[in-house]
Order: sequence, then C-alpha cells, then structure tokens
Amino acid sequence: MKAFSFEYKRGTTIIHKLDPRSKFIYTILFTALTVYFVNPLILFLVFLSSVPMVIIAGIGKRWLRSIRGSLFFIAFIFIFNLVGNFWTTGSIADAIIMSISMSLRFIALISIFSAFFLTTSPEDLTQSMVQLKIPYDYALTFNMAMRFVPTLSREAQIIMDAQRSRGLELEKGNIFQRVKNYIPVLIPLIISSFRRAELVADAMESRAFGANKRRTSLYVLTMDRRDLLFISCSLAAFLAILSLKIMLGIQ
Amino acid sequence: MPIVEVRSLSYTYPGSVRPTLSDINISVEEGEFILLTGPSGCGKTTLCRCLNGLIPNSYGGEFTGKVIVDGLVTTEHPVYEIAQHVGLVFQNPENELFCTSVEREVAFGPENLALPREEIRKRVEESLAMVGISHLRDKSPEELSGGEQQKVAIAALLAMKPKILVLDEPTANLDPASAQSVLNTLLKLNEESGVTMILVEHRLEMVAHMADRCAILNEGRLVLVGEPEDVLYSDEAEAIGIGIPKVVQVAKNLGINKINGKRPLTSWSLADLLRM
Repeated sequence: MKAFSFEYKRGTTIIHKLDPRSKFIYTILFTALTVYFVNPLILFLVFLSSVPMVIIAGIGKRWLRSIRGSLFFIAFIFIFNLVGNFWTTGSIADAIIMSISMSLRFIALISIFSAFFLTTSPEDLTQSMVQLKIPYDYALTFNMAMRFVPTLSREAQIIMDAQRSRGLELEKGNIFQRVKNYIPVLIPLIISSFRRAELVADAMESRAFGANKRRTSLYVLTMDRRDLLFISCSLAAFLAILSLKIMLGIQ
Repeated sequence: MPIVEVRSLSYTYPGSVRPTLSDINISVEEGEFILLTGPSGCGKTTLCRCLNGLIPNSYGGEFTGKVIVDGLVTTEHPVYEIAQHVGLVFQNPENELFCTSVEREVAFGPENLALPREEIRKRVEESLAMVGISHLRDKSPEELSGGEQQKVAIAALLAMKPKILVLDEPTANLDPASAQSVLNTLLKLNEESGVTMILVEHRLEMVAHMADRCAILNEGRLVLVGEPEDVLYSDEAEAIGIGIPKVVQVAKNLGINKINGKRPLTSWSLADLLRM
C-alpha cells in the first residue's frame, strides 16, 4: 500500500501555491522528453529537473518514499532490458547502457509525477480541470477517487485483520496461492466500497449536487507572475535539452 | 401550518417483500425539536431518507402516502431542491465529508446552487460561526475529531439555509463528550436560530430533556408520539426495549411517578424533586 504514495498534504511553499496548470505544463513537457530521448545523460538531466521542485516544496521524504516504493519495478525493468538487449544486439555494453536508460526513464517519470501530485491538492486539480473546460462530473470523479484512496486502504487493513483473526493466512503458499489468499479480503472490500459509494452519493445529493449545470466555485485559480516565471523556466529547460539533440545529435 | 407533514406513509425498498415503513403519520410545527428513537432496524434511517426526498427520488421502491416539507411534496421535487429546505446529517461523518478543507466542505452546497461568490463566502462564514467552528476553517476534515467532523457536516448543511435539520444518529460514532458537544450545538441552533430539529438518537439520557416531543418507531410503525416524559415513562416504551434513561427507571422504582405534576428526565431534576 505504501508504494507510489502520491497522497497530497497541505503546504505553503511557492511550489504548492503555483497554479496546477503551470505544474501540469512542466509535467507534460518533461514527460515528453523522457519518452523522446534514450540517452542516459539526458534522462538523468530530466530527472534532475524535478529535484529543485522537490527541495523547494520540502517534500523530500515522501518523494524518496515514492522512488523507493518503485525500486522493485526498476529492478524488473533493468533486468528485462538487459536480457532483451543482449539477446538482440549481442553487445553487453550496449545492453547495460540501454538498461540504465530505461530505468532512468522510469525514475524520471516517477519523480516528475510525484512532484506534481505531492504538491497539488485534489481540489485545485479539479478546479483547474473545470477551468480547462473539462466537465465537472469527470473532474469530481477524479477528485473523489483521490479522496477515498486512504479510506479504502484503511478499510482493507481492517478487513485483513479481521480475516487473519479468523485464521486466514495471507502469506502462505506460492505466488498463485498468495493471490488466491486475498480473495476473502477483496470481496468484502468491494462490497463495502459499493455501500460506501451509495452513502457518499446520498450525502452529495443532500447537499444539492446536480442542482445546476454550471456551478460557482468559491476559489478561482489565477496565474500570476510566479506562474509565468515557472512556465518560462520549464520551457527554457525543455528547449535547452531539446537543442542538445539538434546541436550534438544526441538521441 | 405544520412545517413537516407525513401522511399515511408506507414504503418498501426495491427487491424487498416486507414494507420498511407502514402507515406513518406525524406533523411537526416550525421550531419544534423532535426526538425520534426505536430499536435498530425499525426504519429510522428510512424515515430520514423520506424526509429529504432521497426516498423515493433516488431509491425507487414502493412509496405510498405523502411527505410535505416546508410546502414541498417530496415526490414532486428533486432532491437538490428539497435539500434547500431540509438538511440531512448522516451517521458516519467519514462518508459525508469529501473535501480537503473545512471551508471547501461548507462551500460545496452553495457552490452547487450556483450562488454568487460573495454570497457563498458570506454563508460559509455564517454557518461556521453558527456551529462555533470558525477556527477550524483551514483544517482538513481528516485531522478533526469525530465530534468536530459532525459539526462540519452540520455547518455544510446550514450553508444551504434549511429550515429543518434531520439528523440520523449523528453521535453514533462519537465518545460521550463529543456527543454532548454536538447535541448542545443542536439545541443552540434550535433555540437561537429557530431551526426545526428531527433528531434520531439512542442516547436518550442526553437528549430527552431537550426535545419538545418524542416519537418511538418500532417495526416500521410510529407507536408512540408525545411529550418526552409521557412517552419515556410509558409501559409501552419499556416493552419495546429502547434505552430508557436510568433517571426514569430510578424515578419509576422509587414510585415518584408524578410529583407536583412533574416527572424528571435528568439526574438534576430528579435530585431537585428528592430534596423537596
């Protein structure tokens, strides 16, 4: 449950206060770079670009946790690429470089997305989606999904405890057996989630949800000078990295 | 004219054979404080859902009779419209709060009503002040205690300016001190702002003396309605097995049923009577 802990906590730093749309522009630009390049140095630069954000926002610990949580996947990606590339190219050096690149690409993506989600409140995100003309229903669905992640994980824990105390052994057997062991946890979890969804829907309806097609919102997101500065920096770094390809022919 | 009128209401949930509510009749005057109680599974929650139109509008099922709240017949108006007249507070605050700050939570209702921004701001301020939680505005509901969460839920409804509040066991998940604090808030809203209260509650010890009338629901039927002391001192109430307050039991055992026409509902009124 701890892997990819993208859970937002409130903060007051400049990064937290940026308009989600500015951060989103950064995220899109640098995600594009990770997909475009295979050179490990460039991918490392892309990864580094997210580090100042993490430091300024003071989210180092949780950012590290996201990365640590993905170590298993990174190891998997590394080994898979190593074997695959050695198989096709026959060169161990090429295979190692390729594996490093692919792992770095994954780390860079995790880092960029962590920086975004750890500093952006679900509501600001919803609001920016609304201001980007995405229908409120979709934006709210997203918001709710984020809101109920910790609730569900708490509930899963309670159900696991309950089933364990009735003798269920979750860690028994081979990998297939273990997956099967989780069925008595999953079924109650799914049923209780449906019940909860109904109760939440009742609560929303009781607060006039759906009364108007266009709703007002108490807060309106506005871009200010800081946002322009942030977007300019992102764009400059993006172009600088891209120009490396043109000038040096790096792929 | 009563503000809430329930006329021969019967209701059966879709897929269910037996009716959950049978032939309910009650009318509530504006500003009244009604205490509704009864054993688990007697239909209290269902009745609450009928009062703000969730039943039958969102639930379907077999609905007969009439529920009129603040002049609106619930079957003829959508829930979001009724929500501006009747606020419904649920049992578990975890399922009724879904924003990351108290302020946003309270603003959710008025935002849905598409009110102007200044009006929303004003209503948020007023509602927070009415419940006495203005200092919590920037907190996340998750950081709050259960009692504070219920107060946020109440403020969130007040922001829609309902004349009636229906509360479905709002203290069920709370410790005694938080429960008392929430109940005091309700009494204050009733006395100072004239909000009509319909409170479903098991903790009769704490609320019996606050209520103007007490109603007992059993197996889907409204079996007793009247002054709290008449209802709680009755033999029927004892037979149904609701949590008759200890004070009432003691008073009954002492045989001081009606001294000077008064029957105590709280320990201090019992003590006063004994001293006389």
